[in-house]
Amino acid sequence: MLGFALGLIATLLHAALVFAAAPLVAGVVAKIRAWALGRRGAPVWQPYFQLYKLLRKSTLVPETATELFALWPVACFLATAVAVLLVPSFCTGMLTAPLGDFITLIGLFAIARAATMLGGMETGFGFGGAGAGREVLFSIFAEAALLVALLCFVLLAHGATVDGIAVAFATQHIGISVSLGFALAALLAVALTETGRIPTDNPSGHLELAMVHEAMLLEYSGRFLLLFEYAAMLRLLLWMNLIGAIFIPFGLGQAGDVLSWPGGLLLWVLKIGAMAVVLPLFEVSTAKMRVFRVPEFLGAAMLLGFLASVFLFVAARIGS
Amino acid sequence: MHLQPDALSWLFLGILLPQVVASAVAGMRGSVTFWVFVLGMALALLAGDAFTLIFGFELMSAASWLLVLRGDERPATFYVTMAIFSGACLIPAVFLPASSVAFVLILLGTGAKAGLAPLHAWLPKAHPAPPAGVSALMSGGMVKVALYVLIRYAFIILAPAAQPWWGVVLIAAGLASVLIGALRAMLEVELKTVLACSTVEHVGLIAVGLGVALRAKAMGDETLEGLGLQAALLCVVAHALFKPLLFLGAGEVKRAVGTASLNWLGGLVRGMPRLGGLMLLGAACMAALPLGPGFAPEFLLLHAVIGAAATGGILARLFFTAALAILGLGAALALGAAVRLFGMGFLGRPRSLQAAAADDIRGATLWAMGGLAVLMLPVALLPGLVLGTMTPVFLLLAPQAALPPLAYAPLSLVLLAFLAAAALGFVLQRWGVRGTREVAGWNGGFGAPPPWLPFGDPATQPSATGLAEPVARAIGRGVLARDMADPTEIWLVAPLLRLHGRFVRVAERIRRATIRERLAFVFGALVVFLLALGLGEGG
Repeated sequence: MLGFALGLIATLLHAALVFAAAPLVAGVVAKIRAWALGRRGAPVWQPYFQLYKLLRKSTLVPETATELFALWPVACFLATAVAVLLVPSFCTGMLTAPLGDFITLIGLFAIARAATMLGGMETGFGFGGAGAGREVLFSIFAEAALLVALLCFVLLAHGATVDGIAVAFATQHIGISVSLGFALAALLAVALTETGRIPTDNPSGHLELAMVHEAMLLEYSGRFLLLFEYAAMLRLLLWMNLIGAIFIPFGLGQAGDVLSWPGGLLLWVLKIGAMAVVLPLFEVSTAKMRVFRVPEFLGAAMLLGFLASVFLFVAARIGS
Repeated sequence: MHLQPDALSWLFLGILLPQVVASAVAGMRGSVTFWVFVLGMALALLAGDAFTLIFGFELMSAASWLLVLRGDERPATFYVTMAIFSGACLIPAVFLPASSVAFVLILLGTGAKAGLAPLHAWLPKAHPAPPAGVSALMSGGMVKVALYVLIRYAFIILAPAAQPWWGVVLIAAGLASVLIGALRAMLEVELKTVLACSTVEHVGLIAVGLGVALRAKAMGDETLEGLGLQAALLCVVAHALFKPLLFLGAGEVKRAVGTASLNWLGGLVRGMPRLGGLMLLGAACMAALPLGPGFAPEFLLLHAVIGAAATGGILARLFFTAALAILGLGAALALGAAVRLFGMGFLGRPRSLQAAAADDIRGATLWAMGGLAVLMLPVALLPGLVLGTMTPVFLLLAPQAALPPLAYAPLSLVLLAFLAAAALGFVLQRWGVRGTREVAGWNGGFGAPPPWLPFGDPATQPSATGLAEPVARAIGRGVLARDMADPTEIWLVAPLLRLHGRFVRVAERIRRATIRERLAFVFGALVVFLLALGLGEGG
């Protein structure tokens, strides 16, 4: 009973923290990016103001949109929100832990992606369709790379839930292996693609021809745009949580042990902060790719994931 | 004639029943050939001996050929050739003792009927040809009957001689089907052809699941055996529900618009909201999205392949890692195809006047499609329960298989989504500005269209071909043959046709031989015969 209550509190705390902090993380990333480019940048609170502004603005619907115009932002947001609830942030063993199978998570990402693409096709204008076509192309390789990288984690952790992988990596003595390095590289490439960051896409781009994710949202305004933008912020934090839980699971608290929560919270803030610093620095130091270079980039990620598994097979062979 | 149904037969009959009812209700009930087709399928499923099985199977082939022929003559010849090939493989196979030869023949015979690569090239041509009700039953039912024969022989009748490589062959064929089917579904323009290509993909997924189970059974791995079978049979159930729904919907699109080419549709949701809703549901299932009936089998299948990659020798592990990558590619391509189908056909601006003026479905077809959609609910939300009711089948096919409970719980996900939706609704109600205002689209700053083009110039809207262009450029040209044709058509069917032409010319030459040539041939044969005899006696 106590365990359930603590699990519930931990889950609620996780939800509150992640939903509240997602715009802040986006703000920090934008701020550091601005600094790295030699500008002063907007305050880190800017995304909150942005979301509030969208909440208070009237929502415009294009004449050529169908009745389903409002469905896509809601579907995109809900799928992302459910995915956010499944990935641990500061502690493992939340109530949602058994649901958080990695493949379910991939499926939820797919719903969000499909809703965004359909939103882009909704009004039948050129940029939305062009963005959707590119998104399909990227997703094909991203999904394959993600599955191959997942295989590497399952081989090491003997379980496919994100929570189980995090617990196994935190408690078992796995050490630093070449395999995990390759898998990390593969996962980072997929994460950059899924969250629409440089080098595959530019979240702050304003040239329609070069946009991918933003091109699909061009016709949206007001609270529909709010949902899409908030979902994008959530997705960024979600991927940071995911990478943090798998590759830096040290110091994760346990839902059943209240005393481990403060340490877990502190380390979570530090981990997310570190990633929020590294991401813009990486973005500033690379150029955006041409659209048709991205499959090569993700194909390389897939090969790295493949190599990670091959090394594990060889290691298992030598070890036995 | 001897009928002896068991759990497997009842499962497949249960799968067949809703789509037969749906097709009959949707307008096929007057056709005698249709009912002969249904009778053939039922006979094949109920058969207790090899003769009845073959009789039912061939009755099904012949009746479906007539139905295809009435729809479109061009693919009918190709179709009947493949049906004859399939029969020529199956008839000797069912009378052979349990051996690898029998399995290969069964695999060729049923694979040709189910559309398993590399024998699938006929399927995207023949399935769209007949009326929608028949297309629905061919994709949802006939393909399943072929898979039923494969399952019955591979898992029950030939089980004493089972070898691990049987499963590997099945997996390889399945993976090729997944990749080619999903890629072509992404690139094709005709709505029914897209659906037929997607059938090839799903048959591939089922074959991969069956292959994993077959290999595990031969190697004595109970967990993988159970996972693979669960994935394959649940995929059979899900596909048999949503594919007929989509085909019936495609037929309605064709009736209302006059064409089912995605490049001429667009904005159909406006005029056909009911059909649009049902097609959105079907497309979500085709893409195997969570909370749909297609996700649980995909989930089980990926877990089965991951499990297979975690055990065994290094070559097998590499094979299954590659399989995982291909399944990932296939899943994302299927999502792209489903999004393209719905986005191009039902969203956006109409690309023709007929599409703008299409009226909604009503009456019988609506009931048929609605019934299939309702039946999807239990498969989508309670897959664990559906798997539980299929336990006798698993026990029949693999008595020692371990059947772990399903780790995917859609109802909990629905609960989470509901909580998130409630919170969202509260925030929007409390602080948001309500209502929407309709304005001219922003469209990158272009001006409003002139009054004589109420939906703007259709050519300024991305087409289905254009949407698939990045995929075609990046991988289409690598995997498919020139002009996005199916690789087996270029590498298998075309050489066979050339060989056929050469044989025909030789036969014609022999038929036209003069009397002197014939006499010379008889004399030469006599000399050779006597020489051989003499050498044999003397030596």
